Amino acid sequence: MGQVVAQPAAAPLAFATSDQGSQQYLTFTLNAEVFAIGILNIKEIIEYGTLTEIPMMPAFIRGVINLRGAVVPVVDLSARFGSRQTEVARRTCIVIVEMAQVVDDAEIRQDIGIVVDSVNEVLEIPPGEIEPPPSFGARIRADFIQGMGKVAGKFVIILNIDRVLSVDEMAQLALVGARLPTEEGNDKHGA
Amino acid sequence: MDEITSVFVTESREQLEAMEAALLQLEDQPTDADILGAVFRAAHTIKGGAGVIECQFLVAFTHVVESALDKLRNGEIAANADLIALLLACSDHMGHLIGVLESGAAAPDDGLRADGDALLARLQRDWLSAEGAQDATPPVAAPDEALESSGGGAVETDCWHISLRFGPDVLKNGMDPLSFLRYLGTLGRIERLETLADAMPPADEMDPEACYLGFEISFASSADKAAIEQVFDFVRDECVLHILPPRSKLADYIQLMMALPEDNMRLGEILVRIGALTQAELDEGLRAQSAGSENAEEDAVPAPLGEILVEQRVVQPELVEAAVVKQKQVTDKKAAEARLIRIQADKLDRLIDLVGELVIAGAGVNLLASRAGHADLTEATSIVSRLVESIRDSALQLRMVQIGETFNRFNRVVRDVSKELGKDIELVISGGETELDKSVVEKIGDPLMHLVRNAIDHGIEAPEVRVERSKPPRGRLELNAYHDSGSIVIEIVDDGGGLNREKIARKAVERGLIQPGHTLSDQEVYALIFEAGFSTVDQVSNLSGRGVGMDVVKRNIQSLRGRVEVDSHEGRGTRFSIRLPLTLAIIDGFLVDAGSAGYVIPLDMVVECMELEAGGGERNYLNLRGEVLPFIRLRELFEIPGEPPRRENVVVVKSAGQKAGIVVDQLLGEFQTVIKPLGHLFRNLRGIGGSTILGSGEVALILDVQALVQIAARDEERSLSYSPGGRSGVAG
Repeated sequence: MGQVVAQPAAAPLAFATSDQGSQQYLTFTLNAEVFAIGILNIKEIIEYGTLTEIPMMPAFIRGVINLRGAVVPVVDLSARFGSRQTEVARRTCIVIVEMAQVVDDAEIRQDIGIVVDSVNEVLEIPPGEIEPPPSFGARIRADFIQGMGKVAGKFVIILNIDRVLSVDEMAQLALVGARLPTEEGNDKHGA
Repeated sequence: MDEITSVFVTESREQLEAMEAALLQLEDQPTDADILGAVFRAAHTIKGGAGVIECQFLVAFTHVVESALDKLRNGEIAANADLIALLLACSDHMGHLIGVLESGAAAPDDGLRADGDALLARLQRDWLSAEGAQDATPPVAAPDEALESSGGGAVETDCWHISLRFGPDVLKNGMDPLSFLRYLGTLGRIERLETLADAMPPADEMDPEACYLGFEISFASSADKAAIEQVFDFVRDECVLHILPPRSKLADYIQLMMALPEDNMRLGEILVRIGALTQAELDEGLRAQSAGSENAEEDAVPAPLGEILVEQRVVQPELVEAAVVKQKQVTDKKAAEARLIRIQADKLDRLIDLVGELVIAGAGVNLLASRAGHADLTEATSIVSRLVESIRDSALQLRMVQIGETFNRFNRVVRDVSKELGKDIELVISGGETELDKSVVEKIGDPLMHLVRNAIDHGIEAPEVRVERSKPPRGRLELNAYHDSGSIVIEIVDDGGGLNREKIARKAVERGLIQPGHTLSDQEVYALIFEAGFSTVDQVSNLSGRGVGMDVVKRNIQSLRGRVEVDSHEGRGTRFSIRLPLTLAIIDGFLVDAGSAGYVIPLDMVVECMELEAGGGERNYLNLRGEVLPFIRLRELFEIPGEPPRRENVVVVKSAGQKAGIVVDQLLGEFQTVIKPLGHLFRNLRGIGGSTILGSGEVALILDVQALVQIAARDEERSLSYSPGGRSGVAG
């Protein structure tokens, strides 16, 4: 690891919160912008096919698909970033990401699909080529960004997939986003 | 957690359950030797297993408990309510310690350790007296008369025989085996000593820090057994120590040989060599045989490794040849393994998932075959689908467990709670052999606990009150289970005071749950107790009465797709009936569609279907043969885009005694379906109970009818009361 010595002083900061082992990234396009996610989490990429919408959920939860017998939720990244829902086109794909998250003190593994406009390539970004996220200006929540990769003189936003697809957070948002009021009975204690 | 530990945890929990059950039995029959033996064996097995996996804190605690049980078994102390209560507390503590092990912690936390120490202190003080927790009976307790009945005479040697096997960690813990032998020498004279290096592995596998040595020592001394034992106090937990007093019976030597890991013949030779036995004595001992007496078997069964045995008290009336017993042990074990296979639940789940896939795929094939109109093909596929169905049934059968185990846990609960409340209550269990899905069993425990506690606390009266009401002073609580048309019914019946209809109705009016002057059936009134925050008890007790229990019970049962009913006769008692589906994996559904998506309504909720008359206007109710039937438009509620078709259909559903209609586009018919949970992401979603995969490969959502009705009612109420204009999307 000769690069460790050579890398700029700012780089370790960017890398401090991230997965040290992964240096290969899948890049994809979303609303004409290029994003990247670490390849270790990715299980497969499938064509956008039949999807069942789930009612009463916020817009960023697109629905569920049947992935060889398993029902897998699909998240619309564009909507998750606060923009409009992705329109399905010829090259629209679903990237299946395997997430291991702690929910209610138990670790669960869950596959989640994300809708992207098109998948580009798998490429290697050395840690030295990753800059810390800007404090503003990316128009994406700062905690969603793991770092800014420099690829061919351009910046690629490397997503912190654990934050972007946090099951806990999305489930909370679903609760707020859904029209159903929470249990009203709970505050009627007494007697 | 590694595999051995997880097996140990599972098995120990079973042993603990057995121990607890036996302790409870002991309350009624404090002198029954079988029960005493069962309690002892359970503790003994746990300790042995804990030793194998080197869980020191569990060994240390259980060891003292075992000593007390040993005394109990030998009749040195008598069981009474105090001791049993203490032992029950100990068995609980062992459960906690196993929990600590399971959680992967290295040692229990301070609070737990303090609890354990307190329990041990009580045991020591009250039951084990001053002589210490160690070794129960003095060695000379083997009475002379027993000698006469034994197969061999006393062995002609004036020396103690000490058989010592050091554990591998002795050196690592800073103990030097030699120093113990030196110290032993201060108590008497080591006549002969034979070193056993049999446990020594080949040189390349040998761990230079581990101790592999064992010693057979012939020791002349006037010290008593306790003093000799004290020599080894520091390594007590890490070595296997057997001490035979001078002139021990031949039987004891044979037993010793069986307990040691080395080959019997080799041990025999060593014993002869160090002069503990003569060749003639050895031959006699090994020749002597008899049909395995009960005692022999009992001792043979729990003999785990790492066991610290001071087997001096049992006088074996007859000798059993060592090899015979060892062999029998092996065959018995094999036979038991053949009858039961332990498999991991997730493997089973995987199988059931796959079978579910098979059912779905089979449905797809059937569809294609019938479309093709090829008679032979149709016939072949129908045979396949029949087979698939039987596979599915047997696969689901694998997950079925008896409910008895769950019921039996309540023996303890009833005992403890009734004691706490000063009530005398008998628990009668029937139908324990009724089977239901394991996942249901796991989830039904909490609701049952609530109901049982409620029955004890509020249902059954105090003995004085019962006598006043000319009932027997002893209350009766029944737990009962049986199968009834594809579901299982669990009943909790008490013969207590029953529910007070007027009081409930009054309370309900106070709380605004019902209108005054509203007439309700008894059933409807009783059902009110399941409302959130509802309690008629004036005194809130430790156990119940806060009104937070019953609604949770109801919700839990509903989440299992079950329902709970209550029936009561004032003064005579209350009966709660819980009706549950046999399995959570498969549901009989009714497939409908709205927009482009399919939805499944649980079939047991569907009452009838009809066409929606056009031009119903804005109001969401219709006239069902003179009845007002409110309905939900699925398209509106789910905000499905697009225009509804010209003809819409209504599925009339009934849930919790209330009828409602669900307006959908098309009715697609009955459909047996495998439930796929939607996962954590959708855990806050109400109104959808899960999903399923249709023959076409599409995902259809399963509707949670009851929640839908609630949502619709609340939406409407909100839109009318808070914002007159209606919130966007609510009025649709």
